[in-house]
Amino acid sequence: MIAISGQEISKTYGYYQVLREVNLEVGCGECYALFGPNGAGKTTLLRILATLQRPTTGRFEILGRDGVKERDTVRATLLLLAHGCHLYEDLNAWENVQFALALRGLSLAQRQVKAVLDRVAIGAFADMKVRFFSAGMKKRLALAKAMLAQPKVLLLDEPFSTLDKAGIEILKQFILETLARGGGVLMATHNQEKAAEVAKRAGVLSHGALKPVPLQDLKTHDFS
Amino acid sequence: MTFLKVIRWMVWKDLISEVRSRETISSMFFFALIVILVFSFSFSMDQQAARELIAGIIWVAFVFTGIIGLGRSFSVELQNDCLEFLQMSPASKGAMYLGKVMANLIFMLTVEIILFPMFVIFFNLDVIEEIHILLLIFFLATFGLSAVGTLFSALTVQIRAREVMLPILLLPLVVPVMIAAVEATKGALNGDPLAGYWQWLELLAIFNVVFTVVSFWMFEFVMDS
Repeated sequence: MIAISGQEISKTYGYYQVLREVNLEVGCGECYALFGPNGAGKTTLLRILATLQRPTTGRFEILGRDGVKERDTVRATLLLLAHGCHLYEDLNAWENVQFALALRGLSLAQRQVKAVLDRVAIGAFADMKVRFFSAGMKKRLALAKAMLAQPKVLLLDEPFSTLDKAGIEILKQFILETLARGGGVLMATHNQEKAAEVAKRAGVLSHGALKPVPLQDLKTHDFS
Repeated sequence: MTFLKVIRWMVWKDLISEVRSRETISSMFFFALIVILVFSFSFSMDQQAARELIAGIIWVAFVFTGIIGLGRSFSVELQNDCLEFLQMSPASKGAMYLGKVMANLIFMLTVEIILFPMFVIFFNLDVIEEIHILLLIFFLATFGLSAVGTLFSALTVQIRAREVMLPILLLPLVVPVMIAAVEATKGALNGDPLAGYWQWLELLAIFNVVFTVVSFWMFEFVMDS
């Protein structure tokens, strides 16, 4: 089954064309790494696939569901881990997780939540307001929310940034677990070395067009 | 059930955040306090004159205070891209809207309940007998303001000049609420029989039903556009 399928996706902001007829397929159990210089359109592509923006032309499907027409169904299956982390500063870590799960219609046992918070090394700070968290801790908490939500399709925008070595290992494990569950992962990153460890295929966005990249080139070429 | 849970969680999230930050209610309160002080020093009135004018003054303070709160309702969601999180959520957008309306209603009513005794003291009003009807008027008018204001707060949150655009778009729409609220409050403060200003309460109730239903359906479109 195809987790993510994009057909001739184009996006224009005014006169500026960010994406030009991008075709993309990510299978279930597959991680696709997306590279490209700043402003290449990686985040725009992820935002379109996350149903936050509509493509100017073209269409996309998530697990066989139309991303525009069946938006609500699609939203229940995917999760975007982005720069903003989607955390409320005046809620503590525990409350942020509870709120995020509630909006996905999930209600998990406290011990399950605690186990995941401990896994991302946030358990000791569960009662602390997110306002006092460092950028790395926020990223870890966002990762915990994603782990608990167990999405079938995972969209990652610069997932390795702000994470320390241990945090990157936890993230890699989570990606591998998502793939083992039969989920699809699309990851936009500049960290080619880390991406090479989890990705099965890769592509580079340049001037709005997506071109495939051989995996063996990831450790030698600079795609930025 | 899930629909009601989403409403509850939205209200809970906004209340907890506000209890900890006190940013919205304190800014609303201090603005309204300044309005009361300015008006009370501008007019030296006997009780009869006060009853004629005070309804307008109360609602000027309440509506502009409410707009401050409504403006913050969605601007706080911009921090850490939480608005994106709400947009991407599979939860009902209508339930999110109702949750926000409830939270805004609670904030505005809290400020109004704190401020009204100050109006009573500064303008030397005797309102003991009319307090129950005044509370009903405050509730109905504030609900109307919250129902429309929540939608427009979401609509303007991504606009650069949102602080300016929200009152410009919102005030013309809530003119019926303001007129009805002022007339009903004036009637209650004058000790008129309820039948004398009942039509204004009906107008508020009808406005609330119509605009809550319309805003409920439009909210998803606003969030996705």
